[in-house]
Parts: sequence; structure tokens; C-alpha cells
Amino acid sequence: MLKRIPRYSFYREKLSVSFSHNIKYFYGVLFLLVFFIPFFISNLYVIHTITLVMLYIILALGLNIIPGFTGLLDLGYVGFYAIGAYTAATLTYHLGEVVGPLSIFTNFWIIMPLAALNGAFWGILLGVPTLRLTGDYFAIVTFGFASLVELIIINEMWLTRGPMGIVMEHKPTLNLAFLYPITHHFYSEPLKFAFKGDIPFFYIIFFVVIITVIVMNRLENSRLGRAWFAIREDEIAAECSGINIMKYKVIAFAISASFGGIAGSIFAFWFKFASPESFKFWESILILCMVVLGGMGSIPGVILGTTVLVSLTEVIRVFLEPWPILVQSRFLVFGAILIIMMRFKPAGLIPLSRVKREMSSRDKSIIGAMDGSFYDITSGEKKLNSDR
Amino acid sequence: MTAEKEILSIKSLTKLYGGVVAVNNVSFDVKEGEILSLIGPNGAGKTTIFNCITGLSRPTNGEILFNDNGKKAEISGKKKTLKPDAITSIGIARTFQNIRLFNNLTILNNVKIGRHPRSKKNFAGAILRTRSQKNEEKDILKSAVRYIVFVGLEGSIMEIASNLAYGDQRRLEIARALATEPKLFLLDEPAAGMNPKETGELMELIRRIRDMGITVLVIEHDMKVVMEISDRIVVLEYGKKIADGPPEEVKNDPAVVKAYLGTD
Repeated sequence: MLKRIPRYSFYREKLSVSFSHNIKYFYGVLFLLVFFIPFFISNLYVIHTITLVMLYIILALGLNIIPGFTGLLDLGYVGFYAIGAYTAATLTYHLGEVVGPLSIFTNFWIIMPLAALNGAFWGILLGVPTLRLTGDYFAIVTFGFASLVELIIINEMWLTRGPMGIVMEHKPTLNLAFLYPITHHFYSEPLKFAFKGDIPFFYIIFFVVIITVIVMNRLENSRLGRAWFAIREDEIAAECSGINIMKYKVIAFAISASFGGIAGSIFAFWFKFASPESFKFWESILILCMVVLGGMGSIPGVILGTTVLVSLTEVIRVFLEPWPILVQSRFLVFGAILIIMMRFKPAGLIPLSRVKREMSSRDKSIIGAMDGSFYDITSGEKKLNSDR
Repeated sequence: MTAEKEILSIKSLTKLYGGVVAVNNVSFDVKEGEILSLIGPNGAGKTTIFNCITGLSRPTNGEILFNDNGKKAEISGKKKTLKPDAITSIGIARTFQNIRLFNNLTILNNVKIGRHPRSKKNFAGAILRTRSQKNEEKDILKSAVRYIVFVGLEGSIMEIASNLAYGDQRRLEIARALATEPKLFLLDEPAAGMNPKETGELMELIRRIRDMGITVLVIEHDMKVVMEISDRIVVLEYGKKIADGPPEEVKNDPAVVKAYLGTD
């Protein structure tokens, strides 16, 4: 296959180096920008859209572990999203009236980790028998899983109320009454917040996004992440480098599923409603598109890709309101965008190679401190000794 | 080097692919500290033996035993066959005939992955960045750099593996395999496609690997390389062993001459 060699551009080189060097500042500026948005923008629709973008960022970063890090095609991610949402919905619905110790399971802060665990549990249960399959076969099984979850939700009326869905009465609360001994100095009442409306959820989701990005970055630069990359690049070579392929694929699947579960539980509390309509197979494809558009495996890329696709949906919805037929066919626009991307930028908006090329300054200092005589990494100069 | 202990014993190994007999009742030992060459015409079953030793294919019959200073392991026997990752962990590393690198990763990361069986921090360590995890990462980095320097690739440590020249890709593969700290190192046609200068450097590298105390088992077609570096040679033809001995002896063995040149 012919590979087009990109024209060398000084500015492009400069940009790519500065981007990978300054990824911390990129995240920092993004953090400040997003954190203060609710202070400047009072339009609730805009806030709502940004919150939605952030929810999808959690989902897309969670999915990214499978096709981006481990190199498997997962079409059933929405199944874990649904499992997370229904963990929240069924717990609050069935235990809503209960008083006593069980009522703790209607607490948002307890449900969120439970949803993650539940997602991971089903991820492992699905992964152990099916991860032996490779390529397209595996993708088909995951597709089946998504449909299976949807069918179970529709048919198990006693648990999920089927197509009617579950209305969530519970609001997340933050009870800081136990801090009263400290807070009474500046506030006379015990601190207790009930979250309702978009702004509190904006901050809850923002907080979870930050944690997700940190976790993903740490995974990427760890032994675990490298094992995934090895599996993605060449399974046989990975095996012969001592990596237990099955084990690491199942771990990837469980972690990815738990992020789907977390996002699902937040979604259920935020929209106060969980129904099988929200977890159609289409949603899986949409999240996968976000990952592919941004650049598989590249964390800033996935964030950008998600932002572009989700906000594009909303933009199209607003601007094309007079022509409903065009609004309904907005997915055609997505398709066109992806085709154009595959033609001109097949590695995504921010390709992985651009992000990961540079060695971090920490690594440089470690190598430098190892043995001054043996290799000066910063100048690229060889200082080889004959005795080694 | 005259160590008498066997590090690897292959006992009546047979491998069938359908009706094709790839390896037919082959037995030989690899002695600790030697460089043993496995030679033979194409299709003689050399790579199949490598695949059986590293667990990539399952022998139809026979035993493979690994003995590292009294630590014995049955790689393949009547009851069970170890998985490739377990075999790497007990100290057998290999390279491939058609180079298998992690193409989109940097050289440093390629070799860091080789440290996998010699480190153990997993999910919790990665997320919490505990002190012990940081120390382990530091060790991984240090030893990875050491192996990169050992094969002489330190000039392009942050280069993407697929951008390397062919000879350098070979050396990177060797560095990655060495990073798993093997006791027995299998090289599958390391000199294929190399020019005489690169071949010379490769022979030097193989000798240095042996001097680290690693036993080397090598498949090679380049007879100059084989005769120069080997302590002992095993010759295969059509899946059968036809000769086994030091280079001078094998060179003059009538069966070997017949296999390579034919008879009139």
C-alpha cells in the first residue's frame, strides 16, 4: 500500500513538539475554562450541552480502553452504560420506600461505585468466554451483548418496569452534617445539599471527568497500559514477552465496563428517567465514532472528538430547526464527517503518535541520574565505555 | 565453555500438521552456556521446534524439559503444556524469523514491555501511583535503557519502532527479548537479510549475550555465521535429526553433505 509522505513543515513540527511537551498546560487551561463556565454563561441550554459533552467524554474514554489501548472492536459498550443506569434506577425504585440500613443503597454516592462494580462484573462475565475470539467474531458477540441487555430490560418487567421505564424520585444529596463541629464557626446550620437542575450535575460530571482523565493517563503510562499496547500491536510477540493475553484483555474489559457503569448511573440521576429507549445499539456506534474521530488511543484526541460530535448534534438541532427532515437525518452528516476523516486524517484529530513521542522530563532526569558516564540522553550524544 | 549441565532437554519430539510430519522423533540437549545452532534445509522443522519450545504450538508427542540450576520445569509433557507467557517467565526468550515488533510504540516502550514478566504492579498501583509502583517504574526504565545500550540503539531511544532500519529492528527485537532476563535465548534466523558488516556486528552481539551467562540456541542459514559462532550444531532434514556435534565434525559428516549438496 502506498503511504503518502506528509510534506515537512517547520511549523507543524514545532506545533507537535510543543503540544506533547505542554499537555499539562492544555489540561490546566481546559480545567479553568470549563470550571468557570457556569459563572459566565447563564443560558441553561448551553450548560446542559456542555454537561452532556462531559458525560460522553466519560463514556468515550472508558470505551477507548478497548479499541484504543487493547485493539479490540467493542460494539456492545452501550450495554454497560445501560447496566449502570439500571443499577441506579432499580435500586432507588425498589428500595426507595425502605427505611433502615438498606436505604443507604439509594444514596447517589454509594450507587455510583456500585454501578462501576456491577459494570465490571458483567464485563468479566462477558469477557472470560468471549475474549478468546478475535477480530470480527468478537465484535459480533459484543453486538449481541448490547441487544441482550436491551431485551432483558424490556422483558423483565418485575425488575425494570420494561418499556415504561423507571422515574427516579431520588436526588443526589451531599450531607456534610458530620462536619458541623467545624462548619458551625462560619455557618449556623448543618451543611446539607440536595442536587437538582443542571448546574450541580455540571460539577458532579466535571469532577468525574477529571478523575477519569487522571486514571486514563496513569493507566497509559503504567505496566498495565503497556501490556495492553503490546496486545494491540502484536499478540504473539506480547505472549512471548510474558504477557498473559487473556488476563489483560479481561482486565481491560472490566475497567472499560466500570466506566460505562459510572456514566450510566450519573445519567439516570441526571435525567431522572431510565428507559430502554436511551440505550439503543446506535448509541454504541456513536461513542465508537467519537473515539475514532478523535484518534484511537489518544486521550486528548478522544476528548476533542467527543466534544465535536456531541456539540455538532446540538448545533444541527438548533440551526436546522425549521427543517425537521434535516434534523432527523443529522446522522448522515456524521457519516460524511467520518468518511472525510478516514480519507484525510485516518489516525484521528489528535493522533496517538503525536501525543506520545516525547519523553517526559521526569524520565530524562532518571536516565541522567542513573550513570553520568554512560549516556547523556538530552544531548543525544553517545558516551559508551568499552567495559560494558 | 564446557558446562555439562543440560539447560533444555528435548526428548523424542514429534509434531504433526494434519498428515504432514513437521518434526519426527527429534531428541537433543542444550548445554548450559553454549551456543548451539540448529540448521537444515527449508522445511526441515527448525522453526516448528522453536514454536514448541516457546509454547506457540503444542507438540503431538514427546517431552521438553527446562532445567535452570536445579529449578526444573516441564514445558511440554504428557500431562500439560505451558502457555507462552509462562515459558517466558521461567526464562526462555525468543526472536522471530519475520521480525515482530510493537510497531507503533517507541523503542523505549518496546523494551519496557519486555520487562513485564520481571515486574508485578497492576491496576491499583497504576492508579494510586504508590511509592513502590514509582520505584518499580524507575527500575523498569533503568533496565530498559541498559538493554537498549547493550544492543547499541541508544541514539534513537524515542524513535517509533517501525521507522528503524531493518538491522536495527533485529537488534531491538533482541533487546526486548533480553529484557525478560532469559536463561535460554532462541534466535530465529537473526542474520537473514543483513549485509556482511551487520552480520559481523550480530555475531559479536551473540557472543556478548553468551558472555552474560545466557545459553543461545540459534537457527541460521548463513553457514559462515554458523561455523564461526557455534559450539555445537544440530542438523535437521525432513523433520529428522541427521547430525549433532561440533562444527568441524558436522561439516564433514556425509549425511549433512548429502542433505545440502545431494549425491551423484
